[in-house]
Amino acid sequence: MNSLVITRTGTHLTIQDFGRFHYQHLGVSPSGAMDQRIIKELEKIIPLHHNQFIEFAYVGPSIKVKEGSIKVCVGGNCNMNIQKNNGTQIICQPYKSINLFEGDELNIHNTIDSVYGYIAVEHGLGLDPCLKSFSTDTKAGIGSINRPLKVDDTFEILEDVSSWDHLSIPNPAYKKETNFKVYPGPQLQFFTDQALQSFISSTYTISAQSDRMGIRLKGEAILSSESHDILSEGILPGSIQVPSDGQPIVLMRDIPCTGGYPKIAILNEQDISKISQLSPGSQITFDLQTIY
Amino acid sequence: MVLDFGDDSSKSISIEVNKAFSTISNLGLPLLNIIPSFNKIVIIFENSEIRDQNIEKITNEMNEIKPQSHKSSNKSWIIPACYDESFALDLKIIQKLHQTTKEEIINLHSSESYYTYYIGFMPGFPYLGDIPSQLITPRLATPRIKIPARSIGIAKNHTCIYPKVSPGGWNIIGQIPFDIFDLQNPNPSLFLPGDKVSFYSVNHKEFQQIQKKHFSINELIKEFSS
Repeated sequence: MNSLVITRTGTHLTIQDFGRFHYQHLGVSPSGAMDQRIIKELEKIIPLHHNQFIEFAYVGPSIKVKEGSIKVCVGGNCNMNIQKNNGTQIICQPYKSINLFEGDELNIHNTIDSVYGYIAVEHGLGLDPCLKSFSTDTKAGIGSINRPLKVDDTFEILEDVSSWDHLSIPNPAYKKETNFKVYPGPQLQFFTDQALQSFISSTYTISAQSDRMGIRLKGEAILSSESHDILSEGILPGSIQVPSDGQPIVLMRDIPCTGGYPKIAILNEQDISKISQLSPGSQITFDLQTIY
Repeated sequence: MVLDFGDDSSKSISIEVNKAFSTISNLGLPLLNIIPSFNKIVIIFENSEIRDQNIEKITNEMNEIKPQSHKSSNKSWIIPACYDESFALDLKIIQKLHQTTKEEIINLHSSESYYTYYIGFMPGFPYLGDIPSQLITPRLATPRIKIPARSIGIAKNHTCIYPKVSPGGWNIIGQIPFDIFDLQNPNPSLFLPGDKVSFYSVNHKEFQQIQKKHFSINELIKEFSS
């Protein structure tokens, strides 16, 4: 038996995977990792991840091997070290496999110039899926673990580490992008040319009220010439909706299933991951593409 | 891909939406989500390649739907509801607004068979309608932070059931004695778009008796639907 325990939670610590699909017509959000590029990369080092990744934001957790030994890999740019059982400390790097033995503690201090980071554990975390996914939607209370992780949460990993060989890939070191290509949204025609002009020519600041549901922007108000209240319709991550205060919101992974605000534009899948890594205060611009 | 059925939230449009929804669901295409709402269906493909391959297939299928060929798998529900004052947090406001009695409101609410427009807002939350015109009430000016689980609400011309504790702006007029969304069940939602739902009034004692049985979704289907 191998087990690990959370000894410090950091912030926004949840289990995530590539998303929960086929249930949105029953009111269930797709959820999933905010930056899906990273868990895709981690797959190369820990192929037997069983779709059970630990996601953290800004401040990472500490995890300690309670029993046996485990192999993990951290994705995202972060500072971290291992506090070994024998008292020594080792600095370690993301995108390199890490072998942890009984009593060893991995401390992830913080993400560097980004927001989200991930831990993949070989053979997963011993969780059962919930509606065919391991992702946690804390607002709806859905998930293998239907809440953020807390100190003393313990995971039992039945299988032993397959190989102690060290695997690594080059750190993808994603460039921080602040200009986003967007495509016309379903209610683009609700906005006059003048409103569209100010949407693409002004700079928006990411607000501190952003979370897994949406990234709220502050800047030039864009007002609809028709209405800010439409009949609720299905929505998807990446949509940019504009409520009546004219401040756009980029919908993210834990979206509500339907929404009643007009959507001016939409980001592509890669850019949803990219924008998730920008912290509050970051300034962004949009570039509206005409071809859909 | 968005299928647009018109600019209206009428029941006849919704019936078309839900027919199309079940047709598309049964095509077995590699779709991530199919999301019906009052007048639209949003279809989410796994990637743009799959989208391009299947847009035509779906469009052809839509042109071929004939009303008489549609076999409905929808259920009719008769759901116990307790309109006791301890549950009906906003009954007094509605009484005052419509200058009517508590009994009349209960009679009106439990006299109709409602149509399930779609499930949204939160897991398992049914938008039901239309309620009798004498009950039409605007949303609360200030939404509640915590609405008790299983509460029955009304707002504008719709009625709903909150599957679990939630913030919300609907006027609360009663409560049902069981859960309508079960994560352990592969078909987690009691109600599906297109289902018919009516309520019958039970007193507090009957409510507690049903509550004590802790019905599963499958037992609820046997007990309260046809």
